[in-house]
Amino acid sequence: MKQFKIRRILLERGAEKDSLAQKIFKKLPNIPIENVEPDELALIEDIEEMDKESLRIIHFNGEFLKSCPGTRRYICCGYKILNIGINCPMDCSYCFLQSYVNQPSLRIFTNLEDRLNSIGEVIDSFPDSIFRIGTGEFTDSLSLDYVTGWTDFLLPFFSNRKNCILELKTKTSFIKDLIKSSHRERIVVAWSLNTPRIIANQEHKTASLKNRIIAAGECQKAGFVLAFHFDPIISYQGCADEYEETVQLLERYINPESIIWISLGSFRYMPNLKWAIMKRFPGTNIFNGEFVPGLDGKFRYFKPIRVEMYAKLSERLKKWYDDLGIYLCMESDDVWRQSLGWSPKNSAGLSLYLDSRVKVIFG
Amino acid sequence: MEKKAFKSTPLQVEISDIDLSPGPFCMSFNFDLEPLKDSIDRFGVLNPPYLLKKSDNNFIVVAGYRRLLALRELGWQDTVCQVLPDNFPPLKALLLNLNDNLLHRKLNNIEKGMVLKRLTSFLNTEEIVANFMPILDIPANRQTLELFLGLEELEDTVKVSVAMERLSLRIAGLIRSIGKDDRLKINDLFTSLKWSFNQQWETIQWIIEIASREGRPIKEIVDERQIIEVLNNNRMNKPQKVKAIVKILKARRFPSLLETEKLFKIGIFNLSLPSGIKIIPPPFFEGIDYKLEIVFTKGKELKEKLTELSNLSGLEKITDFWKGAEHG
Ligand code: SF4
Repeated sequence: MKQFKIRRILLERGAEKDSLAQKIFKKLPNIPIENVEPDELALIEDIEEMDKESLRIIHFNGEFLKSCPGTRRYICCGYKILNIGINCPMDCSYCFLQSYVNQPSLRIFTNLEDRLNSIGEVIDSFPDSIFRIGTGEFTDSLSLDYVTGWTDFLLPFFSNRKNCILELKTKTSFIKDLIKSSHRERIVVAWSLNTPRIIANQEHKTASLKNRIIAAGECQKAGFVLAFHFDPIISYQGCADEYEETVQLLERYINPESIIWISLGSFRYMPNLKWAIMKRFPGTNIFNGEFVPGLDGKFRYFKPIRVEMYAKLSERLKKWYDDLGIYLCMESDDVWRQSLGWSPKNSAGLSLYLDSRVKVIFG
Repeated sequence: MEKKAFKSTPLQVEISDIDLSPGPFCMSFNFDLEPLKDSIDRFGVLNPPYLLKKSDNNFIVVAGYRRLLALRELGWQDTVCQVLPDNFPPLKALLLNLNDNLLHRKLNNIEKGMVLKRLTSFLNTEEIVANFMPILDIPANRQTLELFLGLEELEDTVKVSVAMERLSLRIAGLIRSIGKDDRLKINDLFTSLKWSFNQQWETIQWIIEIASREGRPIKEIVDERQIIEVLNNNRMNKPQKVKAIVKILKARRFPSLLETEKLFKIGIFNLSLPSGIKIIPPPFFEGIDYKLEIVFTKGKELKEKLTELSNLSGLEKITDFWKGAEHG
């Protein structure tokens, strides 16, 4: 997988002195820098196109550590998001950012490193809680690591804390810098997985399935704990056989014993995302399934279809290894019961379950 | 009234010397000339058309295109026109015509698209969005501008449907990106019967998704036997036909949901609920809350119905009625 092309750097006033900004300038010495104002309005075309070749350096004044915006109508995993940036250089047709972002470009929050201490204070003030933290909610955790060097400072910072884990979620095979790091403790490296067909047709510019799994295998050999996310699961004619292919690849390259969890989540979307997707990817077939409005306003596959997909995939995964920490992403108690045969009942229950996985794997 | 900021010269012009093809300032589409002809017949031309001289000494119409067409149809040989100076700026000519039109009538959506398209030759997008979309009574944003600009590319039959508001603007925007045959088919379907714009919107998505899922052209989906039978059914009126077609397409678009609804209905039917009692499943079976509706006029009747209901066997399985369906 090749590094992504960065055409220009947009430097927001106020970010010049941020330590991460300085590092980025050094790593990209030949890329032109344009100075921009923080409140400058973007052109709609740029927002719609997402401008994935411009790196916008931002001094972020908001909260870096946020709770995952779950809904009370479905069971949420209680994840915390470390907001390192927004947008990513890959281009998945289904990406929710297409209707979520109101600013274009790859937005990197360059005062992150300078603000780590205050993030640490929050984590340290709840010593009895387990913070499951991820950076892959609004961007891909590793896609720009070669520019930002996120892993250089995030790994030592989180490795040293006993009441948290940091999950780096990616669709790339960019693990070189990660593996060079000496920190393994409390770090989870996770890959989003799908069928080869979905990856080829919908997850544009991402690593192939095989390359993702090979990269995961290398990380595992290098001592990292792994996680996988089958999300979004997409239903189409023959998809069961193709998800089987994905599991077979996992069997070939991965030792299941040190997997902390595997999540399953079906494709879901807010109504306005559909129009953003149809505009950027006309002729896409990801809406061909039977979608109905969910309790949170998002469209989801008709419940029995979801249940069947989850049940089949989880059964298959359990055949591989029966202690994979399988959980469902944003599903209801009845869907849990019907597809996995048990339910954490509510979000608090799921948090407890995932915390217990952290304890089993990291002690 | 706005003060004239330009000079024009009145001139008796031969109609045959005027280019009456829709020119660069034209913003008229799908109009009925009869009322205008009738008025001209009775009162003459009240406002003279405005013209610009072309290099070949003929004229192009700036304002008054429909009046001139009416005159030609009425057999007039010539009429008094106002001829604008040769160096009259084209943008000003366009605005003159726009002003003239807005003073006298409401533009249809195709005509609004023509105005916006012509403006793009002179102005940038920001100016058009900020200054012209509001006066045309269109939401002022780029997406809507794009939608209107694309209308001119459509076939005339589709444009007529949009102009007459028989085909929604959103649908016109959506079907722009499909093939011509498919587009005309959709236009036929939606204009041959009386569809609400919401029905059109829901149905077009189903049709496109069914076609995509089955890897077939849209035309084939619309031409399917079941739909043709409905369209040719003389015993059904138009709203009934729309309803029947929606039902056919819904069943194809959502086979599992429909199968589930059917199973639930059969289950409820087999229960033989007392009259006036209805069980309503959660919308799309997504939630888990079912509703019970009891119609009664007296407390005694309610009590009787509740007793009857509680003695009914099979009630405890009511939420499982739909779970035997095959999916996927
Ligand atoms: S990798 Fe994630 S953030 Fe990037 S485009 Fe795909 S879904 Fe969006």
